[in-house]
Amino acid sequence: MNRPAPPDRQLGLWFTIAAGLVAMTVWSGVSIGFSISELVCNAPGGSRLLRESWPPDFAFLPRLIGPFLETVQIALIGTVVGAVIAIPVAVLAARPVSPNWLTWILDRNFMNILRTLPDLFWAMLFATAVGFGPLAGALALSVFSVAVISKLFSESVEAIDLNLTEAVRASGGSWLQMIGLGALPQVWPQYAAYVLYAFELNVRGSMVLGLVGAGGIGMILETQRANFEYERVAMIILAVLVVVLLIEQFSIALRRRLT
Amino acid sequence: MPANADSHDAMIRFRGAGVTYPNGVVGLEDVSLDIRRGEFVVIVGSSGAGKSTFLRTINGLTPLSAGSIEVAGQPVPRKQGRELRQLRARIGMVFQDFRLVRRVSVLNNVLIGRVARVAGWRSVLNLWPRADVELAFGALERVGIVDKAYTRAGQLSGGQQQRVGIARALAQEPEVILADEPVASLDPVTCHQVMEDLLRINRELGITTLVNLHFLDLARRYGQRIIGLQQGRLVFDGAGSDVTDADFQRIYGRRPEEDDFLQEARA
Ligand SMILES: Nc1ncnc2c1ncn2[C@@H]1O[C@H](COP(=O)(O)OP(=O)(O)OP(=O)(O)O)[C@@H](O)[C@H]1O
Ligand SMILES: [Mg+2]
Repeated sequence: MNRPAPPDRQLGLWFTIAAGLVAMTVWSGVSIGFSISELVCNAPGGSRLLRESWPPDFAFLPRLIGPFLETVQIALIGTVVGAVIAIPVAVLAARPVSPNWLTWILDRNFMNILRTLPDLFWAMLFATAVGFGPLAGALALSVFSVAVISKLFSESVEAIDLNLTEAVRASGGSWLQMIGLGALPQVWPQYAAYVLYAFELNVRGSMVLGLVGAGGIGMILETQRANFEYERVAMIILAVLVVVLLIEQFSIALRRRLT
Repeated sequence: MPANADSHDAMIRFRGAGVTYPNGVVGLEDVSLDIRRGEFVVIVGSSGAGKSTFLRTINGLTPLSAGSIEVAGQPVPRKQGRELRQLRARIGMVFQDFRLVRRVSVLNNVLIGRVARVAGWRSVLNLWPRADVELAFGALERVGIVDKAYTRAGQLSGGQQQRVGIARALAQEPEVILADEPVASLDPVTCHQVMEDLLRINRELGITTLVNLHFLDLARRYGQRIIGLQQGRLVFDGAGSDVTDADFQRIYGRRPEEDDFLQEARA
């Protein structure tokens, strides 16, 4: 038998793609005014900033505890509210258990819209309604949590063993009972894992929202930065790093045990 | 054929019942028969003969496409809804693959048998009324595994899981039990224990019981009445004690083989 000829490596195609990417990057860089020379010229300014930030102002640490708590509280409220609402949203969007086609289509699109918009957008929206502050932040993170959890959870619900839901129906169970007693008990561990994951994202989200006035550690960071208190800024960043890492490790460890 | 003289006695009545699946396969064709209250009936037939279809039409899990079925004088509703749920509440079902929620306790699995009698929100929030919990315990006692009430269902052996399945059906306080190959996933010894359980429950509580079976020796031993299906049609209906090898040959359309028996090749 003849050995087959090696397939055409399509060098021309790859070259075109690479050239296209380079061209797009250069174009983008020029457009936003990104220039290497400016970066180099400003380096002394950057290093001065670094020098002024050192050492971090540890005396400032006690005053961070309250704001940190607020940040975590905002994340917690957002996660809990979002997690509760995400259950029906996920179930109705799961094809095999959704009560009818129309509900399924509507809910699926609702979920997609929620996911397209970033949490900052929701924060602005709620801020216009209830004013800037922790409440707007918590509401924004609630919506964000619904989006994150319902998407993942709905996929888990779609993969359940439908024989169990049939057993509930065979006993005369209603749709609600089929869901609550046949479907959901199969996927609670996954649900818990998704909620923890959403909490991790929300802690970070809560800090970012703080920068735009939602309260908590993000807001302190913003005020200290505006006052050129770089040693305090450094302290805050250091503390944020530690707290986020701790929460993440804790959450990851819990999730491992769940699934 | 058993005499169906007294029509008031009929618990389940098939009249020209037929099922054609959406893909065109005929699962059941023109079946007419009566099952009396308290009867213990075994349905046999080769794979694909329509045994599951036959059982599932009785509680409306599979809708009829022709004819009618009445349970206790009431036609099986064709539409989903309250009426059908109330009928299903009176009919317990036992499955080959048990169909237990493995992560959940035995007791909570048995309580699923109470869904039609308890408000939806209470059952879903696990706030079962005391009387229903009591009934679930009673059902577990009847199948002899009440000591496992708080064990996760998935941790039990196959035979124990099937007993939980039976207890769930019993918790419905049903008038009819439908068992679709309830012993096909069990070893021979457990197999007989589970069949004995079903028979005992039928005798003690007078629950009309229909069991699909794969094995001919089990059918002969337990079936007070045997119904034979072949390609969706009723081809045999007689007493288990009377059934001959020739009858089996007719039902299966071939000579019974070793695989058709649970124990040794031929008794
Ligand atoms: N949901 C369905 N859709 C289409 N065809 C089906 C469906 N369920 C069963 N059938 C077909 O209907 C016929 C009867 O099936 P049924 O499951 O009732 O047989 P059975 O006697 O229970 O077989 P087994 O011993 O394998 O369980 C078979 O040909 C089967 O392929
Ligand atoms: Mg079958």
